Amino acid sequence: MVIRFALAKGRVAKKAIELLTELGYVFDDYSEKSRKLIFTDTTGTIEFFLVKSPDVPTYVEKGAADIGIVGKDVLLEHPAQVYELLNLNIGRCKMCVAGYEDRPLPYGKKMVVGTKYPLIAKTYFNAKNQLVDIIKINGSVELAPIIGLSDCIVDIVESGNTLKENGLSVLEEICDISSCLIVNQVSLKTKRELIDPIIQEFKTQL
Amino acid sequence: MLLNYTIDGFENIQHQDYYSLQKIINKLTNLYRLYGYHQISTPTFETYDLYVHEDSIPCDDLFKLVNHQGKVLVLKPDATLPVTRMAAMNHPNPDEIIKFSYQTNIYRNFSSPEMIKKEITQIGIEYFGNDSPECDGEVIGLAILSLLEIGIKDIHIDLGHVGFINYLFEELTLSSFERETLFQYIENKNIGDIACFLKPLNLSTAAKEIIVKLPTLYGEPKTVLKEMKALCLNEKMEGVVEKISEIYSHLEVMGLANYISFDLGFTNQMNYYSDINFKGYINNWGEPVISGGRYNNLSEKFGIPRPACGFAIDLMKVIDYMEQENLLPIDTQSKHVIFYDDADKAMAYTIANDLRTQNEISEVFMIKSDWGFHIQSLRENPLYKNAKIYFLSKGNLCIAEGDQYLSLKFNEIKRAVD
Repeated sequence: MVIRFALAKGRVAKKAIELLTELGYVFDDYSEKSRKLIFTDTTGTIEFFLVKSPDVPTYVEKGAADIGIVGKDVLLEHPAQVYELLNLNIGRCKMCVAGYEDRPLPYGKKMVVGTKYPLIAKTYFNAKNQLVDIIKINGSVELAPIIGLSDCIVDIVESGNTLKENGLSVLEEICDISSCLIVNQVSLKTKRELIDPIIQEFKTQL
Repeated sequence: MLLNYTIDGFENIQHQDYYSLQKIINKLTNLYRLYGYHQISTPTFETYDLYVHEDSIPCDDLFKLVNHQGKVLVLKPDATLPVTRMAAMNHPNPDEIIKFSYQTNIYRNFSSPEMIKKEITQIGIEYFGNDSPECDGEVIGLAILSLLEIGIKDIHIDLGHVGFINYLFEELTLSSFERETLFQYIENKNIGDIACFLKPLNLSTAAKEIIVKLPTLYGEPKTVLKEMKALCLNEKMEGVVEKISEIYSHLEVMGLANYISFDLGFTNQMNYYSDINFKGYINNWGEPVISGGRYNNLSEKFGIPRPACGFAIDLMKVIDYMEQENLLPIDTQSKHVIFYDDADKAMAYTIANDLRTQNEISEVFMIKSDWGFHIQSLRENPLYKNAKIYFLSKGNLCIAEGDQYLSLKFNEIKRAVD
């Protein structure tokens, strides 16, 4: 039996693969430029594939992968029936509301929010009893307030450099984000003897 | 533009799948019958009032409609509530033992954008009037036997008890928000967030340690039982340990214990579960296919206090699994197609009826062009791929085999098939 990992493409996958290598798994057919889709370690006990981050919870929920490593932001935006066993120390950042410091957010009229995370934004502003119009944007969210599409944005902030370069700053922090190790609810039970040691190994890295 | 006529979340069941579905339903209905369960059916609609006071299903997930009297109805979103209501209405003596089985569709108006099925085909049982571990054992046992009966072997039942968590939380002073958040985290086995969330709470360190351990209380029953014993804070929790170990012993006697593992991290999602609850999984299939449990307080709402235990199987999920593993029963019965000349019509219908009395599928068509054309167009139709083709003309019957037409006597037609 093989344990199958779904990793979110990009930074998270790079760090996760480093972590797996540190734990002693060798993937000799993997290189960042490889066009293969599935990589198996030399002992044949685990394999992983790279997918777009919102797909990770889907693969794990449906059991196509046993374990997934994906940012908490994705789990909040695309809730799935999975076990969120561990918060890993990779991909740490914050979900924030950002805008112009010198320009007060609209009061007594509608506020427009540009974001890649409509669900997170909606939940946050709903909890604050603030009525907002949410515009879903797929990339370069910082552009929205600059050209007047929105009053502020909701996005993940790692160093804050992109914000600074565009004259924006963090107005409110929504929550901490890090990568999570998620496990399919059935696999955890039925492949316990294989999954438990892997989780213990990940725990030692925390 | 066929898309204009389809609704997300609803699907057609095509003939191959329907054949399998019907075979499975027949096998299971017969199994439940042999255990003394009576099959019943409740209406497709229920009153909105039945569900609005019940927290088990969010009101947003109900399909609602208004009837001509202005009463709000819902498409039934679950089977247990209506079956319990029916048992209470028709069997007012609370000491009566009642075993019901049902096969029905239920409807949930999930708001999620994903293509989640909103029409769920279920089969299940409800056992009323018995609060013993033997009753729990029979229900869990039948859940396992149901899957075995239809040829699935990699079965896995996860048994939990909502009391263990509830009786622990009774000891603690928590706001309903804190309680719900913790329940959510425990259900998701989100150990990292549980620890963070507990830190600022005003609870004893002992209680915090127990809460952090709840999500890890799963796996091999005997090990879990030992761990549970060490975590009991009060007599009620000890009672849970005793109850669940009695059920396990019962299943050991029935020879079904090797399918069982424990998970005490189940919280009470369907709010009516009062006691044990369980989920059935198939190895290598990502979602549970069976869900069940004991609901001793539900019937009381309909005026008849009566303990009960039951489960439901999601049949389409089971079929999806069996399809993937090539376990589905396939319709292999071949059929007879008789083409006849107008003058031989009466004879053709007699032959066809004769075949039907012998349980053979037979169809008749009138000859409208040359024989070869009929054969060719029939062979191109996948529904008639294995059909035996006959021609009846001027009182003579012959069967088409390859390019040849072999002459047959009328009474030879059945033998030609064997």
